[in-house]
Amino acid sequence: MAELGHFALLLALFLSGYAVFADLLGAWRKDTGSVRSGRNATIASLVCLTVSMITLWLLLVGSDFSVSYVADHTSKALPIVYRISALWAGAGGSLLLWLWLQVGFVVLLFCRLDKTKRLFAAVARAAANVVSVFFLLVLVLDKNPFALSVVVPADGSGLNPLLQHPAMALHPPTLFIGYAAFAIPFAWSIASLARHNTQDEFELFKLARNWILLAWLFLTIGIVLGSWWAYEELGWGGYWSWDPVENSSLLPWLTATALLHCSRAYKPRTSISLWLIILCLVTFSLCIFGTFLTRYGLVTSVHAFPEPGLGILFLVLLVIIWILAVLLFWRAHRSSGLILTGSVRPGGRLITINNCLLLLLTLVIFVGSLFPFFSGFFTRQKISLKPDYFTKITAPGGLVLLLLLCVCPYIFRYGIRKSWHTIGAVLVAAAALLSWLLTNKLSIPFFIICGFAGLNLAGDFVNRYIKSRNRSNKAVPQLNLRWYGARIVHIGVVLVFIGMAGSGGYGIEEQVALKRNEKIKVAGFDITFKELKADHGSTFTAVTADLLVHKGDELIAELHPSQAYYSRSDKRTSEVDIKRTLAYDLYVALTQVDSSRDLINLNVLFKPLVNWIWIGSMVSVLGAALVLISFYRRRTASLQIEDKDTE
Amino acid sequence: MKMKTIMKTVIGVVLIGGAMTFFVFQAMRSSWSYYYSVDEFSANRSAVKNHSLRIAGRVKRGSIVRDLEKVSLNFTLAGSQTELPVQYKGPVPDNFAEDREVVVEGRLDTTGVFRADMLMTKCESKYKAKVD
Repeated sequence: MAELGHFALLLALFLSGYAVFADLLGAWRKDTGSVRSGRNATIASLVCLTVSMITLWLLLVGSDFSVSYVADHTSKALPIVYRISALWAGAGGSLLLWLWLQVGFVVLLFCRLDKTKRLFAAVARAAANVVSVFFLLVLVLDKNPFALSVVVPADGSGLNPLLQHPAMALHPPTLFIGYAAFAIPFAWSIASLARHNTQDEFELFKLARNWILLAWLFLTIGIVLGSWWAYEELGWGGYWSWDPVENSSLLPWLTATALLHCSRAYKPRTSISLWLIILCLVTFSLCIFGTFLTRYGLVTSVHAFPEPGLGILFLVLLVIIWILAVLLFWRAHRSSGLILTGSVRPGGRLITINNCLLLLLTLVIFVGSLFPFFSGFFTRQKISLKPDYFTKITAPGGLVLLLLLCVCPYIFRYGIRKSWHTIGAVLVAAAALLSWLLTNKLSIPFFIICGFAGLNLAGDFVNRYIKSRNRSNKAVPQLNLRWYGARIVHIGVVLVFIGMAGSGGYGIEEQVALKRNEKIKVAGFDITFKELKADHGSTFTAVTADLLVHKGDELIAELHPSQAYYSRSDKRTSEVDIKRTLAYDLYVALTQVDSSRDLINLNVLFKPLVNWIWIGSMVSVLGAALVLISFYRRRTASLQIEDKDTE
Repeated sequence: MKMKTIMKTVIGVVLIGGAMTFFVFQAMRSSWSYYYSVDEFSANRSAVKNHSLRIAGRVKRGSIVRDLEKVSLNFTLAGSQTELPVQYKGPVPDNFAEDREVVVEGRLDTTGVFRADMLMTKCESKYKAKVD
């Protein structure tokens, strides 16, 4: 069966390569036969990839250890859920999943367009297939998931217990859905550059835009899942460590946010459309670069799995994409001028500022992540940037973005008027700056601006309600999901910032030693160590500390952090226990145990408002989903109108 | 594009860019560490000993001492030729053990012990462990 999977990959490689030629030839010569052939080849390569994926899944679930991928990532005792998720546990399987999703999305969009858009679709498909070819080359020549084990082991190595967590099982595929979906706007932008003198780009943009939002949504979910897992499982009470691999998922998220805001103001042949195309290309490039960074060990990271292999092919792909893009830009500019003058909406400039800020942040994080590599390259000394560096830059940056969030929607709609919005914004900004200078704590300005943002958003809702009451036409309008969705996303963002400001600015962390029946005071809570409980299983020994938490006289919680030791794999894991409320988390990890002396060490963290990060993220995702639904509804509505017209 | 528009854009970009550069410099002044292996550090010791450092090495067998009363973890970080005693206070990653590759961040104290406030263990050869 492994041979079948391997063969399917080879076939997919051939088909993708063929499709590139067929589509490009067809687009150049306006030959519909070629184009149709390219379309079919793309669909066929999707079929091959599907076969390949199903084969790998069957091997994993069936625990066929003759395949080294299966032996490396599963074991006989592993629950079936994690055998399924083992598909994305390693480089080969992950690339396969990503590619399958990507080609699937391309087929969904660019293989089903009507005849008038055929040539545009051909160029878009060609761009996507070039990417497929490179992925497949890496898969077939280097990270082959169907490679056979040199020696067939009796049992596989299994999955690290730390990773056996639902959030970790879902984190890679949600990220990959995001990355794969960004291929659509990427393909769209290459095609619109190549065929810029037609109307297709604008019409197809509406479709591409939906995919941008979908990608953003899943990327957000993926990032939040990863942070959630880190917070729950790793015991250090943090959710983001500015590790290069973490950053590589954040970078496309930042540019995608800029992209989303651009698409709101899109008008073809304006400077916004130029921004849009550049951002599409940059976002997709960052996804690919992120993979390159994660898997091929450019910088030290706790997440880095340095197995360089043919990773350099990803860099080659990026270079090719950009050379192509620049050439196409040049050609488009020379032949008919890419940008008409004027025609920028009043809010356009603010969106440009928004984009610049997001891009600058992206650049700073990018350079910061790669700093050890750069510094080692230019000087002989490797310099590493602490997480502090990133926070010191992104926190103020985030503050300014928040401020823009407050004012831009109004300026967009009404221009810069002397309304109380603008005056309020200036006053609030001044208050924030003053409070920062006085208290030297960034959290306070954050709360001030978040408060202002909240007021603005609440005002929006109230306004809308009043307007609907005053409507002379008593017919009930259809719920404008897009309007609500966008506002809800922003509400979510404000909540997340509140959570970050609270837990970051007012968090307390202490390492304490406690003897039995001893009590200690941390962050206003009294923690008493009552007793140690041991639990023995056939493969493990676990020790749990029973703790009582009081505030004054009141019993707040009973916490039971634990540590387990697995004899067979010689691994130790620990489980934290958290007292969660909307106002704070009290997070306790059992770090060291001496059962003979009844002495334990705890890591205790007090994290105010931290749960608003998770709540806010879910709210944002919900808002984005609402906007997506509104796009979908509009599309089906307009298709229905088209159907009516043609009847 | 009109002159006025260009001027406004340029002013905006300069303001943002300037502010950003200011923040970046502020951040970089205090938030970086030299990154060394144990042997490289021993070679450069006198030059950098007062600075924030990140040092990578291997946990020497038999050197792990957990001092529960002082809530600290003591061990020796070994390179191929030199060694460095380390004292760490903080959460210990689950896969911290003898012979593991680790990275510590902190400063050297006057007695020659490295006081670490951050401890990272590298994952093993396969995608398995993710710890701080």
